[in-house]
Amino acid sequence: MTARPVHVTLNGAEREAMAEPRLLLIHFIRDVLQQTGTHLGCDTTNCGACTVLLDGRPIKSCTYFAVQADGKKITTVEGLLSNGKMHPLQEGFREEHGLQCGFCTPGMMMSALALLERNPDPSEAEIRAGISGNLCRCTGYQNIVKAIQYAAAKMKKGATA
Amino acid sequence: MTPTTPEVGGMGHSIKRREDPRFLQGKGNYVDDVHLPRMVYGQVVRSPFAHARIRGINTEAAKKAPGVLAVITGEDLAKANLAWMPTLFHDKQMVLATGKVLFQAQEVAFVVAETQYQAADAAELVEVDYEELPVLVDPHRALDANAPVLREDREEKSNHIFHWEVGDRQATQKAIQDAPVKVALDAVFQRCHPAPLETCGCVADLNTATGRLTVWLTSQAPHAHRTLFALVGGIPEENIRVISPDIGGGFGNKVPIYPGYVCAVVASLQLGRPVKWIETRSENLQSTGFARDYHMTAEIAADRDGKVKALRVKTLADHGAFNAAAQPSKFPAGLFSICTGSYDFPSAFCEVDGVYTNKAPGGIAYRCSFRVTEAAYLIERATDSLAYELKMDPAELRRKNFIPKETFPYRSPLGWTYDSGNYDAAMKLALDMIGYDDLRKEQAEKRKRGELMGIGVSSFTEIVGAGPAHTFDIVGIKMFDSCEIRVHPTGKAIARLGTKSQGQGHETTFPQIIAQELGIPANDILLEEGDTDTAPYGLGTYASRSTPVAGAATAICARKIRDKARKIAAHLLEASEADLEWEPGKFYVKGAPSKSKTIQEIAFAAYTNLPEGMEAGLEAVDYYDPPNLTFPFGTYICVVDIDKGTGEVKVRRFVAVDDCGNIINPMIVEGQIHGGLTEGFAIAFMQLISYDEQGNVQGGNFMDYLLPTAVETPHWETGKTCTPSPHHPIGAKGVGESPNVGSPAAFVNAVVDALSHLGVRHIDMPVTPWKVWQILHQNGIS
Amino acid sequence: MAVRIEKTFEVKHPIEAVWAMLSDPRKVVSCVPGAQITETIDDRNFKGSIRVKVGPSLTEFKGEVHIERLDEQAHEIELSGKGQDIRGKGGASMTMTGTLTALDDGGARVHAVSEITVVGILAQFGARMMNDVSDVIFKEFTTRFQNLLDHPGEAQAPAEPVSGVKLAGSVIGHSIRRVLGGDDEESK
Repeated sequence: MTARPVHVTLNGAEREAMAEPRLLLIHFIRDVLQQTGTHLGCDTTNCGACTVLLDGRPIKSCTYFAVQADGKKITTVEGLLSNGKMHPLQEGFREEHGLQCGFCTPGMMMSALALLERNPDPSEAEIRAGISGNLCRCTGYQNIVKAIQYAAAKMKKGATA
Repeated sequence: MTPTTPEVGGMGHSIKRREDPRFLQGKGNYVDDVHLPRMVYGQVVRSPFAHARIRGINTEAAKKAPGVLAVITGEDLAKANLAWMPTLFHDKQMVLATGKVLFQAQEVAFVVAETQYQAADAAELVEVDYEELPVLVDPHRALDANAPVLREDREEKSNHIFHWEVGDRQATQKAIQDAPVKVALDAVFQRCHPAPLETCGCVADLNTATGRLTVWLTSQAPHAHRTLFALVGGIPEENIRVISPDIGGGFGNKVPIYPGYVCAVVASLQLGRPVKWIETRSENLQSTGFARDYHMTAEIAADRDGKVKALRVKTLADHGAFNAAAQPSKFPAGLFSICTGSYDFPSAFCEVDGVYTNKAPGGIAYRCSFRVTEAAYLIERATDSLAYELKMDPAELRRKNFIPKETFPYRSPLGWTYDSGNYDAAMKLALDMIGYDDLRKEQAEKRKRGELMGIGVSSFTEIVGAGPAHTFDIVGIKMFDSCEIRVHPTGKAIARLGTKSQGQGHETTFPQIIAQELGIPANDILLEEGDTDTAPYGLGTYASRSTPVAGAATAICARKIRDKARKIAAHLLEASEADLEWEPGKFYVKGAPSKSKTIQEIAFAAYTNLPEGMEAGLEAVDYYDPPNLTFPFGTYICVVDIDKGTGEVKVRRFVAVDDCGNIINPMIVEGQIHGGLTEGFAIAFMQLISYDEQGNVQGGNFMDYLLPTAVETPHWETGKTCTPSPHHPIGAKGVGESPNVGSPAAFVNAVVDALSHLGVRHIDMPVTPWKVWQILHQNGIS
Repeated sequence: MAVRIEKTFEVKHPIEAVWAMLSDPRKVVSCVPGAQITETIDDRNFKGSIRVKVGPSLTEFKGEVHIERLDEQAHEIELSGKGQDIRGKGGASMTMTGTLTALDDGGARVHAVSEITVVGILAQFGARMMNDVSDVIFKEFTTRFQNLLDHPGEAQAPAEPVSGVKLAGSVIGHSIRRVLGGDDEESK
């Protein structure tokens, strides 16, 4: 398996590294690019802990090869902070107690980010459907929904400001 | 207890969590995030057969594969006497199989390579020659004369592990015989798995220069694990450091010691390099500590007016291939004898028999409080059976039999002394919150129209906070817990505990206890757990014991500091100690409140201006031996609607009233309850780990073992009553597991209630749409 | 886990010619993709192997085939087989009963009922795909069986192992066609 160079824009920064064709994107992000905020929770593409945004679309990075991401933009949880200021989603998760062990949280926020970008004013049912690809064992989702509603409200206000 | 201001954030304040910022930025430090120089990777080779002799293992091809540094087998470990290790419960289990394998996915070899992918490739090349043996997966067949004997290593050649009984067999027998009303219920609590989102794993790092072994470990009990590594591995305990960093959920899954950990340690010792082993989800579901698998029968005898007279319980416990149930050593069935629940039974008898089968080992996990989930489920289902027999409303029947609040402390017929309880208050609140009477009217109307609606009630009593030294130990280590606090000159503090949070928010809640006791703002207190080099010894976090035991240690420790602070204050204020009053944050002279010293000023003085002869510093440590367990309780009420065409059950409403005594952080308690109810929901409706006749595990990955998503998870309504624990320094009881203890029965009771007019009296979990549809179909409804 | 598979197909050859082939395990096995007889112990017992490719890795099962019963009058054969993955990843066992009936047009109908029990990884992932996988293997089998009947004595190219990846593709295609209501020629 000959490794080949993979060039991505990760959270706004240009990164390049070698990857075997079979190297999964999650391992590329965590082990090669050393961004360990995105987590691995299963081996059958079910849990969504590994969710990142690829050119703005949420994907499960455990079911994607690093070489497929060549030339693309990747956003992970590490990209949410902006000039040291928390993203409304991060704020919402904190204010509404939307996390406990924190393991599902990065992937959950990425899915939520994608959801709010395509639907800035989602109903509760739309939120629940929008994060249905992300499993959480700790929170029962109720406060996660509130966190996303908090973020939606804040982002709407920010948009009209 | 004087309330503190929100800025101080003592008991009762919903302050925001201290641990959140790092998680929200993706800067948590979970075991798989640990990267050390020269680190290598391990992978386990597992048995595909449930029961087979190993005729030979050929590791030649694997050893030659690219990047491979070692391939370890049971034979290799046997040379160091490590092929077997003790379990946490009077048994031993194989680290790597020698001679035979006893369950599908059992560990057979361990491959170590430079990269994870190379280790996986090499694992494929290990050749094992198996000779299949007859498989035993039905616990009811385990004691048959012709059942295959699984454990050839034991002296007693049978599959029977233990028999345990408690209570008065004769009196209960007589009471049942004499009673005018009796019901019997067979209920299986199915094998399921806690499946925390982070799987188990470790990084074992032997520093060859210093001889110290550091193990980053997904551990809910780091100190106990360190001691066990020392005893089993023969490594001096001061040279072992276990670091349990951030843990992505535990739920009991991270209490046992798994073969992968031992293999990683051995590999690191052998190679002198850090060895990382992280299991996959499939490995987690198929080989790590499962939960439940209790096959139970309950008989309740009562008067015609519904007053219960006796409870008799018989249980068959399927423990899998090794008894690795992590529970206190005198209790082979954990705290299952809490099965008299919230009711005043004059007599009771309970017996449990444990057996071996060709399945993964475990049994104590998934927020079970040591088998309390099984016990509560059984009594709450059986109570409904009695209600149907008597044609009595299930809430009314429960209220009739609740242990009255005046009789606490209450001694149950199976030997527990419940500290405090007010069951009727919780029940009443739950009934009000859900609008019970209106719901029953609605149900009657719907029934006339052929619509299926059910209401399920569960009034559980929990037993947590293990436990007093006279009765409780795990592998001999007493179940105290600890807190050490040190106050700095500038009035900030650091505290360390013997517990280990896996999401329960300890970095926030324990400082709140200290804030309450000392008036130092909770946000000025750094809380650390999990590093055995620095934290005082404790038994860890599981069975809802952190607040009852370590929380008590924290309060007592803070009070020791306050005692010293009083002396320093007296010195600073030139008054006698007896003339000083305390309010959170300061001492003041009686009658002259302006003459005061804050805790911060006192802290500074502890390093700069001490009374003659007094040692410097402001710190203390406390190891707390609880005088008793605590008994949280509650009433949960669930409303379901069943689709007549598909059998799908929709939870319309769920009200959970919990009483865990005094609450430290209401926001965190509510989060715990949401999470636990969601787990109970999953267990009731969708989770099962089963084995076919060949011993193949079904439910061994997330395609088949279901976790609820945000879409099907119901909306939870919570309420509370407060009945403090009289023996706990801050009156708190603990709550983490209550929702998983009380909710499965509420769900099942609701579904049975919806179908009771068809004669249905019980449905075993998981209550899947298929099961419900079959009932509807048989009754001509679908 | 045990799976029961029942298949029927027809050939345009007289029943005796078909029986001659069906009652000879060496001929039958040569039609199964990836399979071969490696040793004849006696006229009722054989050693064999079957290879399945999943992506780049090749799994091989080695085992034994035993003729339990051979009924010339009723044209019925009963076979049993048992094998293990050579690296110890799992195993499978099978019993199969094959019956021939003469058709009015001079041809013959073959009816085969098999019970397959699988242990190991296959049982976890493969269970879901068992029926569909067997359909694909069966289709290739009947093609080769027909071909052998049409050209007896001509050596067939050894049956290539069924590729798991190729298999997955055709199985998925097969399943989708079935779900979308396409006519399934094997379902007779």
